Amino acid sequence: MEPRVERGSFRDPDSRVFYAGGSVHRALSERGLADWEALAETALFRDKVAEGKLVGTEQLPEPNGLPAELDAERVAAVLRHDRVPVVSYPYEWPFGMLRDAALLELELLLAALDENLILKDASPYNVQWRGTRPVFVDVGSFERLREGEPWAGYRQFCTLLLYPLMLQAFKNVPFQPWLRGSLEGIEPAEMRRLLSFRDRFRRGVLTNVVLHAKLEARYADREVKQDLKKAGFRTELIRVNARKLRKLVQRLEWKPGRTAWSTYRTTNPYDEPDAAAKLDFVREAAGARHRRLVWDLGCNDGRFTRVAAMDADYTVAVDADAAVVEALYRELRADGVDTILPLVGNLADPSPGLGWRGEERRPLVARGRPDLTLALALIHHVALTSNVPIRDFLDWLAELQTELVIEFPTRDDPMVQRLLARKGPGANPDYDTETFERALNERWRVERRDTLPSGTRILYRASPSA
Amino acid sequence: MGGLFAYLDPGSGSMIVQAVVGGVAAVAVAGKFYWRRFLGFIGIRRKNDSSS
Repeated sequence: MEPRVERGSFRDPDSRVFYAGGSVHRALSERGLADWEALAETALFRDKVAEGKLVGTEQLPEPNGLPAELDAERVAAVLRHDRVPVVSYPYEWPFGMLRDAALLELELLLAALDENLILKDASPYNVQWRGTRPVFVDVGSFERLREGEPWAGYRQFCTLLLYPLMLQAFKNVPFQPWLRGSLEGIEPAEMRRLLSFRDRFRRGVLTNVVLHAKLEARYADREVKQDLKKAGFRTELIRVNARKLRKLVQRLEWKPGRTAWSTYRTTNPYDEPDAAAKLDFVREAAGARHRRLVWDLGCNDGRFTRVAAMDADYTVAVDADAAVVEALYRELRADGVDTILPLVGNLADPSPGLGWRGEERRPLVARGRPDLTLALALIHHVALTSNVPIRDFLDWLAELQTELVIEFPTRDDPMVQRLLARKGPGANPDYDTETFERALNERWRVERRDTLPSGTRILYRASPSA
Repeated sequence: MGGLFAYLDPGSGSMIVQAVVGGVAAVAVAGKFYWRRFLGFIGIRRKNDSSS
């Protein structure tokens, strides 16, 4: 396959990511190379890579195999990085993941300062995940420190990390739609307007939001870097600020209210006998053979995800409810699971292509196709809440060319009845077992079909028919 | 090589915040920064004497 440039990596001309021969490479300019050489010899680099916090990186002997669109004359060296299993974006993370990403950025910034280096930015897109372990992937962010200059990444830290976290912690407003709405995040002036008078007295707000917004407006067209240097700005100030930010971020907490989902397991009507039969079904389907990538769509508390993940290299667990994904993240992290990636996402409104050319950030499907997909207790929500036609939903799944474990709650199922009752009699006539099975059989080879003990839910295991 | 440019605009306001909020260590820097601005304002010091 031809080497190709990563579309999300054009902003920093000293360091461009491209893919060649199945690995991730980074092309460095002269200046980028000098920065890399400074980083590569530090204890920071060795230690953080060993701890899994910084992506494993080696320099190739020759800068060969460049994609045509990179100017070979400007490439001084090429690095090769370890791959992360599946790329994800901040607008797909629950609160705890964004917070841990922020803390990793600050940890690396402080460690860099000790080595006479600094991070040139603070983008959460530079953080990726191995399950619940964050890993910083942008080695090109490290540069040699220039004494007397403030941290260039501070503003980005605020707009893409601190403010979104504050928004959710202080106002219980989910940050994901904001980050998805703008790849630059929330501007200081916008953030100030979002906060109430009372919020101004919360820790860190007066300086990082109110003062920040005011100074930004006042100094919009003025150059101050040299003046600050002359006034004696020192690296020690960056260190003090980074420590303060760390303390601030550590204290930000999100207490989700009772969402429909986070109480689902305790209140749902079918429960234990069905759940046990479902676990057996999933265990059998997942254990049939080893899978590279599994998707669990509508993962809820992750009970079935964990079973499905046992025979897979990596599993992506997606749910629309950020509260259950937050809970799952905390659980998985506490258990040290690094093969399940929990993400917030709504199937009826999935992550689109975003940014320049709509290619800087890619849809989930473009970041790795699953070879097994679980869709448990999902289709009635997609079909009845979002009104996606059943055939359309199955078409979409079929395009993934994935094996499938799917649960169909019949029209008699209490949950289905509840969803239908809100809509009135005769709603969603295509939602019935016969239509579903006909559509399923047209697209898949059904290998197993079990009715759960409740009698209102049917499980299917199917393979692509082609 | 190693010019002073950054690919990311650090933002003038964002840089000053960092000089202001750093506790005791910042007081002197912020004071001096604003003193110099003040001198520039009343014309004792030319505004752009700082090219280096």
